[in-house]
Amino acid sequence: MEKNYYVCTGCGLLCDDIEVESEKDKVNKVYTACRIGVAHMKETRGEAKFLVDNKPVDEATAINEAASILKNARNPLIFGLGTSTNETQKIAIELAKKINATLDDPSSFCLGPLAEALIQDKLKTCTLDDVRNKADVIIYWGTDPSDSHPRQLSKHSYFPRGSEKQRGWEEERTAIAIDVRKSHTAKICGNYFFQIPPKGDTEFIDALIAGLSGKLPKTSYNYPPKKILELANILKGAKFGVIFVGRGLIYSLENLEPLFKLMKILNEKANFHLIPMIGNYNTMGFNENLFAETGYVNSVKFENGTVKHGPEYSIVESLKAKTVDAAIIIGSDPLSILPRSIAKNMLEIPVISLDHCETLTSKHAKVYVNTAISGVESGGTAIRMDGVKVNFEPVIETNNPSDEVILKKIMEAL
Amino acid sequence: MDFGSFLAAPEIKVKVITYRDIFQDKAMLENRFGEEYRNLSAVIKLDPADLKQLSVKKGETVILKNSFGRVVVKAEESGYETPHKGIAYMPKSPWSNMLVSDETGGTGVPKFKDISVTVTSAKGENVTELNF
Repeated sequence: MEKNYYVCTGCGLLCDDIEVESEKDKVNKVYTACRIGVAHMKETRGEAKFLVDNKPVDEATAINEAASILKNARNPLIFGLGTSTNETQKIAIELAKKINATLDDPSSFCLGPLAEALIQDKLKTCTLDDVRNKADVIIYWGTDPSDSHPRQLSKHSYFPRGSEKQRGWEEERTAIAIDVRKSHTAKICGNYFFQIPPKGDTEFIDALIAGLSGKLPKTSYNYPPKKILELANILKGAKFGVIFVGRGLIYSLENLEPLFKLMKILNEKANFHLIPMIGNYNTMGFNENLFAETGYVNSVKFENGTVKHGPEYSIVESLKAKTVDAAIIIGSDPLSILPRSIAKNMLEIPVISLDHCETLTSKHAKVYVNTAISGVESGGTAIRMDGVKVNFEPVIETNNPSDEVILKKIMEAL
Repeated sequence: MDFGSFLAAPEIKVKVITYRDIFQDKAMLENRFGEEYRNLSAVIKLDPADLKQLSVKKGETVILKNSFGRVVVKAEESGYETPHKGIAYMPKSPWSNMLVSDETGGTGVPKFKDISVTVTSAKGENVTELNF
């Protein structure tokens, strides 16, 4: 009997081996997925479909109100899209061009610089399938996939029997964690957990480079040189190494230079790849789609056929400087995920929220549309965190419109 | 009236590092306005020595305060073997975001994992409600 496997859009791993038991419009049981994946696929929704000023309206009224907000804005912000398909993202880019909008996604304050470097081929990377089949040395740096991407270790990196790694973690793989706290992933790494002080990453990289070059590794926080040399030796022996990089590392670096230097020397001495630990299921898609269109991965402002780029066009700086005068938020909740000291400025502008669940942002929105759960109730394509394109079908049916449909209708109403 | 009530409540300064927690993420997906999500989010994990200095028992509430905000959360012991006095941990959530600085140096990137706060006993005050 042929089995139907679904894709889980709960995180950037896009696991493609999910089995479900479902009725027409309800997921009853989910197999294979992690704790987050199961919760994501069984998410329930509020009853409200279209709200204006928190009062129920019909679809046309909500669309017209949204269009009117965007029409009247001098510099509207389009933000979110990390949990939208490539198809939706491309429509959002078109919309941004049409209304001269500022366009950004959460990568501007997450792993955007890393995604940009990878898209521009400045760092050597590989796929998660390569990691499963070949990797012998795996570093988790400033990331805790056991909590953020729960099946990463079992499906892709440390535990699986890969085609060239049949003896798996017991004999053929070494897992290393470098972090400021003993995370669940660090516990799995046992003696290969290197705990460094907050903001100590740049110095640790320099010390590791010294160790790889046969010099004495020194840090101002007196990390035992013997331990760094031991780490350097493991890395030098890697036939297929990979560094999974999380926000813990990126937030600690002033820029990516130390990482470029480390990857350069690692590839002189051994064979190393880097994969970003992207949280939302299609942030990489947004970065690639916007890059293809503009040459930038986030933080852009369209103006009569031209495009400007810089941190001043990120959501954080736009809200802080109050340069945007309306916002359409797609599948995101800035009032929850941004510092309150900055997010509070969003309360002063009219907001359109497209989301499958009520959020702080939707509660304070002028217009709210309860959209289909992307990946569960609507399908499309997305780019996995390692750059692989994944197609997915909806698991169940819904009467709620997808964000793609709503964006198209808003475009038409404009 | 006992003598202790005339003393200022002990106050300590800590650096807060935020992190992801799978149980909290799952609770958010199920109901981001629910009790389980609040219980797993509005939490600060402290070194036992810091808890002792605050005269706060684990499970009691504390006030976290800096120039960007004030929030009441539950104090817990971190459970880490290595002592980390002066460093505390919070799951990433709207509660930790109430304390994040708006200073970004124009980079667009807030210091989500680098938060300085003072901690005092909340003397029974309830955990801050999720609202704006």
